[in-house]
Amino acid sequence: MRNFLHLLNSRLSKSILTLGIIFWNSYALAKDVGKGYFDDAPLSLSPELSKSPMYTLVGITDWGKEILHVYGITTIIALIVFLCVSIPILYVLFRFRATGEEQELPKQVKGNYILEIIWTVIPLILLSLIAVPTWQSIFRQDKAVKANLQDKNALRIEVVGYQWWWKFVYTDFGVITANELILPENTPVVFSITSADVIHSFYIPRFGGKLDAIPGKVNKLTYVTPALKSNSGPEGDYYMGQCMELCGLSHALMRFQAVIRSQEAFQDFIKSHNQPPVVTTASEKRGEEVFNLCIACHTIAGTPSANLPSEKIGPDLSNFGDRKTLAAVTRKNNMANLKAWLKNPLRFKPGSLMPDLQLTDQQIDDVSAYIQFSTAKNKD
Amino acid sequence: MATYLPKTGILSWLTTVDHKKIGILYGASAFFFLIFGGIEALLMRTQLILPNLELISAQTYNGLVTMHGTTMIFLFLMPLISAFFNFMIPLMIGAPDVAYPRMNALSFWVFLFGGLLLNYSFIAGQVPQVGWFAYANLTSKTYTPDHSVDFWILGIQIVGLASLISSINFFVTILNMRCKGMSLLKMPIFIWASMITQVLLFLSLPVITIALVMITADRTFGTGFFDPGLGGSVVMWQHLFWIFGHPEVYILILPAMGIVSEIIPVFSRKPLFGYPVMVYSVTAIGFLGFAVWAHHMFTTGLGPWASTFFSLATMMISVPTGMKIFNWISTLWGGQIRFTTAHLFAISFVAMFTIGGLSGIMHASPPIDYHQHDTYFVVAHFHYVLYGGAVMGLFGGIYYWFPKFFGRLLSERLGRWQFWLYMIGFNLTFFPMHFLGLQGMPRRNFTYAPDQGWEFWNIVSSIGAYITAVGALLFAFNVIYSLLRGQKSGPDPWDGRTLEWSLESPPPEYNFAAAPHVNQVDDWWHQKYVDGKKVSPPYQPTQPDSPPHLPNPSFWPLVLAIGVTLLATGFFFSTTGIYISGFGALVIIIAAYGWSYETP
Repeated sequence: MRNFLHLLNSRLSKSILTLGIIFWNSYALAKDVGKGYFDDAPLSLSPELSKSPMYTLVGITDWGKEILHVYGITTIIALIVFLCVSIPILYVLFRFRATGEEQELPKQVKGNYILEIIWTVIPLILLSLIAVPTWQSIFRQDKAVKANLQDKNALRIEVVGYQWWWKFVYTDFGVITANELILPENTPVVFSITSADVIHSFYIPRFGGKLDAIPGKVNKLTYVTPALKSNSGPEGDYYMGQCMELCGLSHALMRFQAVIRSQEAFQDFIKSHNQPPVVTTASEKRGEEVFNLCIACHTIAGTPSANLPSEKIGPDLSNFGDRKTLAAVTRKNNMANLKAWLKNPLRFKPGSLMPDLQLTDQQIDDVSAYIQFSTAKNKD
Repeated sequence: MATYLPKTGILSWLTTVDHKKIGILYGASAFFFLIFGGIEALLMRTQLILPNLELISAQTYNGLVTMHGTTMIFLFLMPLISAFFNFMIPLMIGAPDVAYPRMNALSFWVFLFGGLLLNYSFIAGQVPQVGWFAYANLTSKTYTPDHSVDFWILGIQIVGLASLISSINFFVTILNMRCKGMSLLKMPIFIWASMITQVLLFLSLPVITIALVMITADRTFGTGFFDPGLGGSVVMWQHLFWIFGHPEVYILILPAMGIVSEIIPVFSRKPLFGYPVMVYSVTAIGFLGFAVWAHHMFTTGLGPWASTFFSLATMMISVPTGMKIFNWISTLWGGQIRFTTAHLFAISFVAMFTIGGLSGIMHASPPIDYHQHDTYFVVAHFHYVLYGGAVMGLFGGIYYWFPKFFGRLLSERLGRWQFWLYMIGFNLTFFPMHFLGLQGMPRRNFTYAPDQGWEFWNIVSSIGAYITAVGALLFAFNVIYSLLRGQKSGPDPWDGRTLEWSLESPPPEYNFAAAPHVNQVDDWWHQKYVDGKKVSPPYQPTQPDSPPHLPNPSFWPLVLAIGVTLLATGFFFSTTGIYISGFGALVIIIAAYGWSYETP
């Protein structure tokens, strides 16, 4: 027994060192292996978000700020209670250790009526400090939803979760887009969130809390979108979002981005969105033909694909060329990634309904050119 | 016939109705399944150690998530708790056995087969991937066409049946078989915690049983309870699941609280501070536990009134829980604290559970929960409650009662090593998850992008998991070593307070040679100490005057459990299934008759 522990002790430092070496070697290896589901390079986000784009303790909408207010109060109270418990525990453990030489039993205290009442009442008071702002903010959000639904200036957007991408319908404008949620700055927005298949959860941490997308149920969420940042370019500010409810195989790959743009840029987006694609090169022309294989599931506005009566189960591609990312914000949107995706969709998104269409390399080049370049509305 | 069954050897274990042997069987199976649950956890932590790793596929990872949660709750914590119920309840209330010994055996075998059926999914290559909560309609035929969900549904159904049987058994045992003089408010606090747990079990399990029947019907017969296309509601599943699932959390934590409340007084040499308050707080937690289920569902859009109600009810639970924590501290206060391994685990329960409770208060508030829900913050929270809390408390119980189970002490030295490896490993694994949660990292993701700022804490967390694994191996070694070579403990190694310490270790098959008679809480202590002076306790007979009446061993519980499993297995086959289920039903009927006509 003793020998065993001795062995453990003498080898302990060496083992830790060995483990460390193994670990860093695997890290080096894994860096090369890890070219899988996401691009290694950061997706183009606003610079200050690039470090922790999903960080939850920043709120830049009215709703986000309100939540953080409750959050702050609760955290302070939790810390106070933590100190009220941990300090006595530590004190007791140091003060009342047995020496092994005690002759007598310690005083046999069985309880204290007054103390019990004290530690019933004080927590109740602390809890009410959390409960009241909680209660207020729940009802304020409820009121805001009702008010903004009536507001003429408010933007109404239907959010529909699909396995594993997001559809955004601008109901007042007849515009449908996917995975990039383009919003005007300083505008009240009401999201009507639902799902086409299983339960998803709609979450943009910077804008406030999440709300589930549930089939057969519409959940409503509202806030006033933030202002554009002073240093933001013509493309606007990008904010990360992600599905938060386990929704099947590729749940981890169901991300999206919210984009805040100026009022004018937003109007441009709405106006140009349903314009037909501009086909210029021969390759794009051939790609237009190939795209007929895709129209059962995908739509490009202003083409015959938009006239099919059936419900589309794939993302709308009308402004695909303008999007920063593809495959629900898992890879950067460029020709190389697009071709790789078309060649083997399941490689990047296990379980995806997007089939491998067995296209030839030529067809892939052409259709990529078509959906990449012809649909870009903001071409300079 | 049954009287010819042997008392030793493998056959005796298969036919035993002795509560102590069944307790050991429960404990052994719990640790058997812990191997699975633990390896699943380690694999997940390895996959998440770096962004973008492809060691494990999405399919496998979702399977690991599901099986880790399900295994740890239903196949590790619940049977381990059941092991304590089985072994300790009759000893602590001065009874010769449980009220229904053969039902007790039945419940064990049903549990074991249910657990094996669930894990057979690995061999079948169809591991359930829907999470331990199995939210509809991901579980429907449309979105899970294979049998993976059926393994989960039927496995849980069978395991739940086992818990239902044993909960009734223990409830009756505690109410009817206490020794003379042990009125309700003179019961050991662990017995109180156990009794409330049984109430929670037999009130909450029927809900999940029915929900599982509904989802089975949805999948097998095309009913539409949870199919929005047929007018069903997917949120209804969440309500049903959490009406069971939240009391389940208290089912896991109350027995650990009971154990800790036994250990702390013994190693402080003081009576439990505020015994009646501790009793009422257990009851209050159990009662309120049924009124908070929808706090798991704030983000489903419950509406403002429901959100407010469930939020306030949830916050209320922290009041009786806080009372318990302060009462434990007051028990330690002014005592002579001995830092045995059992006591270290018990104290760490108080500390870790406090942290878990405080993060719980935070997401009791719906606006905060809108951020924290389904992020790693929640993973951190419930591991602090169920692992830092329940598991640490139960390890304390193992170190405390091991000598009573087997007559030998666990090595204290190895125990302290295990404790510190666990404490460091656990906190290293789960405290960083608070930070990951605040950074918005979603749960149940098989991989993550490298540009999210989540790398560092994931590495730390994974290292913590490996450290814990070393602690677990050390514990396994400690058990084997101590069973073979451990120091003999004698009847009362810790200077205990409750009745079981008046018996030899391990206790004889009939437990008490003469039925005990108690006058107060912790009666055994008061027999040893009169006016603060140690006296020799009154003579305890070791041989009964007349041959004790003991229930005969029986193999019918085992046969009946096989029948139940066959009945469930039929659901995996489309055409031959009806025959398999029919045969299972036949086995059940035969076993029930055999059981009824057996001389007990």
